[in-house]
Amino acid sequence: MSADVLTPAAAAALLYREALLLDSSRFSDWLDLFTPDVEYWMPAWRDEVSTTQDPDRELSLIYYRGRRNLEDRVMRLTSGLSIASSPLPRVVHQISNVVVLESGAGAGTVNAVFVCHRFDPRMGRTDCFFGRYDYQLVLEAGDWKIARKKITLLNDTIPTVVDINSI
Amino acid sequence: MKLADLIDDRPEAGIFRVSRAIFTDARVFEAEMRTIFEGGWVFLGLESQAPGPHDFFTTHAGRVPILVQRDETGALGGFVNSCPHKGARIALVRQGHARQHICPYHSWSFDSAGRNKAVKWKRAGCYSDAFLQDDQGLARLPAFGSYRGFVFGSLSANVPTLDEYLGEARKLLDLVADQSDDGLELVPGQVTFTYAANWKLQLENCSDAYHFTSAHPSYIRVLERRQQEMSADVVASVWENSDYWKEETQGIGGGSFSFENGHVLNWGVFGVTPAIPLYERAAELADRFGPAKRDWMFNMRNLTIFPNLQVAENASSQLRIIRPIAPDRTEMQTWCIAPKGESAQARRQRIRQYEDFFNPTGMATPDDTIAYENCQRGFAGKVAPWLQGYARGMTASVPGGNRFSDKIDLHPARSVLADSQLCDETLYHSYYRAWAQRMAGEFGA
Ligand SMILES: [Fe+2]
Repeated sequence: MSADVLTPAAAAALLYREALLLDSSRFSDWLDLFTPDVEYWMPAWRDEVSTTQDPDRELSLIYYRGRRNLEDRVMRLTSGLSIASSPLPRVVHQISNVVVLESGAGAGTVNAVFVCHRFDPRMGRTDCFFGRYDYQLVLEAGDWKIARKKITLLNDTIPTVVDINSI
Repeated sequence: MKLADLIDDRPEAGIFRVSRAIFTDARVFEAEMRTIFEGGWVFLGLESQAPGPHDFFTTHAGRVPILVQRDETGALGGFVNSCPHKGARIALVRQGHARQHICPYHSWSFDSAGRNKAVKWKRAGCYSDAFLQDDQGLARLPAFGSYRGFVFGSLSANVPTLDEYLGEARKLLDLVADQSDDGLELVPGQVTFTYAANWKLQLENCSDAYHFTSAHPSYIRVLERRQQEMSADVVASVWENSDYWKEETQGIGGGSFSFENGHVLNWGVFGVTPAIPLYERAAELADRFGPAKRDWMFNMRNLTIFPNLQVAENASSQLRIIRPIAPDRTEMQTWCIAPKGESAQARRQRIRQYEDFFNPTGMATPDDTIAYENCQRGFAGKVAPWLQGYARGMTASVPGGNRFSDKIDLHPARSVLADSQLCDETLYHSYYRAWAQRMAGEFGA
């Protein structure tokens, strides 16, 4: 198999690494996983069974095109100026069912599921979020990077707050 | 418990205080549900949520599930969403289209006008005459109506007319509704969130100019960064193009209006700027309604129609329904509300600004809701029971309107003109005076 084809092992390694970086609040390393023009998208739900499909005409929970928007989110999260984010909640992401759907030269699409447990030490409260990830990965200078990440949050009644580190 | 222990309202002494108990006490919550949410007008939704015949949407009045539907002629009706047979909810989704609803429990069916169409195996049922002469239709809301597409209902018939209830605040709904000749719509994608605190914290926060620079410095810093680096990747926000809220800003930048029945507005001058999605219609709206009313459409406006509707037009435009669940638990249903027919570019800008500012997954709202939860914890302290958050603006509040309300022939009960640091708190008095009026029968004076 040629080195520029996305293997299941390489896909899983990237997703697990992303989870580890979020779980350990290593946000600048996390940002390095994304391409500069990444599309980062968590749609809202249109009704009981379908999510919104067109971010320009329908509402999303989060929609950004460009890594610099994720840099803003990280800046806010770690600024100490957001009472919702300080102290940072403790999170664990569990990623599984990683499937490479397509793989071509230097690009691939990946589907996975996630469960994120979050403990908010200030309120002594634990919440759990779960859903699906859809990734488009591209090979840049020998490393797989995230060109698109779509997060389908299945339990979308948000308990007070959901930030980029708990999805 | 007496009303005087809950609200200390003595204008002549310069005192207005609210007891922490109104946010925590289970008897107060029960009384609020009975007298305010299930005993008077509440907002149910927009007409556009059920656009055509047989379309429906579901919501709540207090704890009561409500079905709003259009019959075959297109007439809107409001019903208790509960089968008269055993009480089960008959419409189980938020929105849809149904010529008839069939109760999922015993298959009684109802048409879109709420009439009973069939009682399953009626002839074999050996019913008494008394039952057969009874009405097996859905219970209609005792009061129901809409204003400019905003639909309201009441579980009590003992209410003023909707026009009387909304009063002068109707003109503020006009400022929303008149933004398009085709009316208003909700952008697809409803966002629901909960917080572990009392519903009145949301009621107040919408009108709270005082918290912005304290609770949202992280959002403000993001805006500053975006302004410095203007890149094509970021969407311009009206906040970064406006000075009215910045503490160094001089002069009158906004203020508040209070109305009868607990409706309030706080507002600020944004100016007619391209950072507001409505900008593409600025000239047309001025021609149509005059520059004064047009300018008001571009002002920052946070409107509360007591007790459960808020329309916030600032970074973008949000419609919220406040749904109390328990003294220390509230559910918020939120939508991006938009004029129909705006350009794709304006709609995109509206949506992007909305997500960053209003969503519980965004960069501003979580810093409000976490603050509510901190307040709720703090309310347990009853050593000094009276809260001191209702005193700013006491000597600035005047009866009637001012030169800004005069421009659109708006006649509030009271008003405050404010610079960026006044941050009026007397507008909350209007909430609690309406609240006290409604609660008077529940607690002795
Ligand atoms: Fe706020």
